[in-house]
Amino acid sequence: MIAAQAAIPMTVVGGFLGAGKTTFLNRLISEAEGRYAVLVNDFGAINVDANLIAHHDGTTIALTNGCVCCSVGGGFIEALGGLLDAGGKFDHIIVEASGVGDPWRIAEIALVEPMLRLNATIVLVDAARIEMLLADPQVGATVRSQFERCDVVLLNKIDLIDRLSLERARDVVEQVCSNACVIETSQASMPNLASLHQRPARSPFYAQPCAVDSADHEITFRRWSYQRDGQFDRSRLALALAALPPELLRLKGACRLAGEANSALLQMAGRAWSLTDAGSEESSGIALVGIGTTSLPDRLELDDILDHALA
Amino acid sequence: MAVGSYEEICADAGAIEVDRRFADKILLPGFVEGHSHIMEGIVWTMPYVGAGDRRSPEGLLVQGIRDVEGIIERLREAADKLSDPDTPLFAWGFDPLHIGGQQLTRWHLDQVSTTRPIMVIHASFHISNVNTLILDRAGLLGPIDISGVVVDEDGRPTGELQGIAARFRVFRMLGGNPLSANLTTDDVNRYAASACIQGVTTITDLHSDLPDNTVDLYRAAAERDDFPIRLVPALASASHSPDDGIAKIERLKQENRPKLHFGIVKLVIDGSIQGFTARVRWPGYHNGASNGLWYVAPEELPRIVERYHRAGIQLHIHTNGDEATELALDAIEAAQTAMPRPDHRHTLQHCQMADAALFRRMRALGVCVNLFANHVYYWGDSHYEQTMGPERAHRLNATGTAQRIGVPYAIHSDAPVTPLGPLFTAWCAVNRVSSGGRVLGRETEALTVAQALAGVTIGAAYTLKLDHVVGSIEVGKFADFAVLEEDPFEVVPEGLKDIPVWGTVVGGHVHKAPGE
Ligand SMILES: [Zn+2]
Repeated sequence: MIAAQAAIPMTVVGGFLGAGKTTFLNRLISEAEGRYAVLVNDFGAINVDANLIAHHDGTTIALTNGCVCCSVGGGFIEALGGLLDAGGKFDHIIVEASGVGDPWRIAEIALVEPMLRLNATIVLVDAARIEMLLADPQVGATVRSQFERCDVVLLNKIDLIDRLSLERARDVVEQVCSNACVIETSQASMPNLASLHQRPARSPFYAQPCAVDSADHEITFRRWSYQRDGQFDRSRLALALAALPPELLRLKGACRLAGEANSALLQMAGRAWSLTDAGSEESSGIALVGIGTTSLPDRLELDDILDHALA
Repeated sequence: MAVGSYEEICADAGAIEVDRRFADKILLPGFVEGHSHIMEGIVWTMPYVGAGDRRSPEGLLVQGIRDVEGIIERLREAADKLSDPDTPLFAWGFDPLHIGGQQLTRWHLDQVSTTRPIMVIHASFHISNVNTLILDRAGLLGPIDISGVVVDEDGRPTGELQGIAARFRVFRMLGGNPLSANLTTDDVNRYAASACIQGVTTITDLHSDLPDNTVDLYRAAAERDDFPIRLVPALASASHSPDDGIAKIERLKQENRPKLHFGIVKLVIDGSIQGFTARVRWPGYHNGASNGLWYVAPEELPRIVERYHRAGIQLHIHTNGDEATELALDAIEAAQTAMPRPDHRHTLQHCQMADAALFRRMRALGVCVNLFANHVYYWGDSHYEQTMGPERAHRLNATGTAQRIGVPYAIHSDAPVTPLGPLFTAWCAVNRVSSGGRVLGRETEALTVAQALAGVTIGAAYTLKLDHVVGSIEVGKFADFAVLEEDPFEVVPEGLKDIPVWGTVVGGHVHKAPGE
């Protein structure tokens, strides 16, 4: 039996039909840090950038960066077993659950299989449709079960809805999974695995010795998103960032700065922060996402601090 | 074949030689099993531990076992026959619902062996029971919170495993799942032998990815004169995009020959009623269980159905619950509206809970139905008491309604889920009695013997679009017969299932059923 520290990390990506799983997977493999094997547990969902494809044989696509993407349909168990038999050929296994499947059920494989360790369960949610889907008598329970037990929710397609709708979407998502980290995304701005900073899985479970540091088990986060149409004043922004509470662990996003043509990328971790040229004139306004501990103050209080930095 | 008196046939066929070997037998059209699986040919590599009697492909009567002690005894006998002490022992066919809810725990299986891995696979194929050794080796013995690893009140795993995670881990530890290994010629031959024993001459394999290996085996078998069945495999929609599926069907149809018929596609919408995974309408499950699972997203279904429909491909759609049936009919109606296609014969498979209004929609849309008559016997009591409650249990698999409303119908076994045997299936539809002796909806839903026999011959052939070549004794069709020892129209209806089958004739070739 292979030692636990040699276990291959597995990430499960789920979400209902139309939530944006294909775009996200595309992003993950085109910005892979190592050789990823992607198992698509649904037919026909592979849609990789054409210029990344080295070889395509129907159900399997080999990419120029060493990754492999495979549509497995009915033979998922055999396909995953085959990857493990292939030994250390891959640095990371990503499994896309089917549009009606429960990604946690697949994630559990990595909890019981010593050759795997669960990296994260990431579920995409279409912000514009989630409230309607959860209330739907036909599919409500299916959709709910998909992100009841996940580590990260990508609240996607936020560019297609107004702020009020976004807040409502976030509320219904947080009601279903209060522990998951909710990240707002759009089809054009998907995170990759590195930017999701590979936190250990939230699993409440299990005697899997030395695979997961038990101190990390109970880590939970609170999210805060800040969006304004205007722009920051540079010097007032410095003061405002210094005034943010220590419970805020990270803050990241794009913002306009008064008197500057390009929008800037703001990144803050702990007390340290940076503003770099985002190199684009297109984006307007301010859109920041923060991660904090469970005792992060109310979002209105945080909004108020940054509102003081508006030009 | 030619049909008629000696003189009439001579007029068409010239001089003929009379073969009197079946003078004291009864010839029926060869039976057509419209819904069964090649798995029937695979399971018999393992001992059977189900409650009902079955026939093995060798024609031997295998007694059902109705208590846990009997199961332990049969497993001990099977273990004694294995020479290597480490070879895992697999068995199949167990269902606690058939033995009054008795559970089979790892402590029971430990009485068979604590040193040999033992796994008992349920009749549903979704659940299994293993002994302590397997749990221990798979690392599933400790305190555990994994869906599908069943624990007792004290939190100890009982050995029952249900989910994908446990299945993955255990089969990896055991070195593979014997039921999903590559198909072999022996498996195909066992399937054919089981069919012959029951008088079946045309049989489906109603859900297959159809990998090259399987296609090669089927083609080779179909070329042999001693191969006693016409095979009708259905391509699994779940493992192909509609475009790939359509292209594959076009390719496979080039392989068609008298004993091999590609062309149909199987689409699975929901799960099973007794597993509480079927999608049911109000009032839901009788015992309050939450609604079942979709295996296809409801909004994706119309797109899949329309693609195949436009391509002229016949769909066989698995719907157990009535919510799933309604969704399937919505999708077919949309496809028919977008592109009317005469005689599409899309067929609902199982369709166990449909009410009269759904049958009227089927007729209006030109949809056929293949009803799961055997369920009335095997799970009728569970449906009455737990899943559907009295009223819906009485109209379970509403063959009478289909007959009255005029929906073309067949009846089936879904072997190996229930035993292959069209005479037994017909008996179920005629008598509508459960294994516990409860009569379910006989006044309204029972078929006559003639109607039930049509359901396992021409009716089933019609749902497979093979009614022009099999399913009846008619000039120009294949000479396919079920050879029976007694006349089903002479025996009492309760005796239908007990009529001995001598064997079959397939395309003029005589096949005596293997047996004792
Ligand atoms: Zn079936």
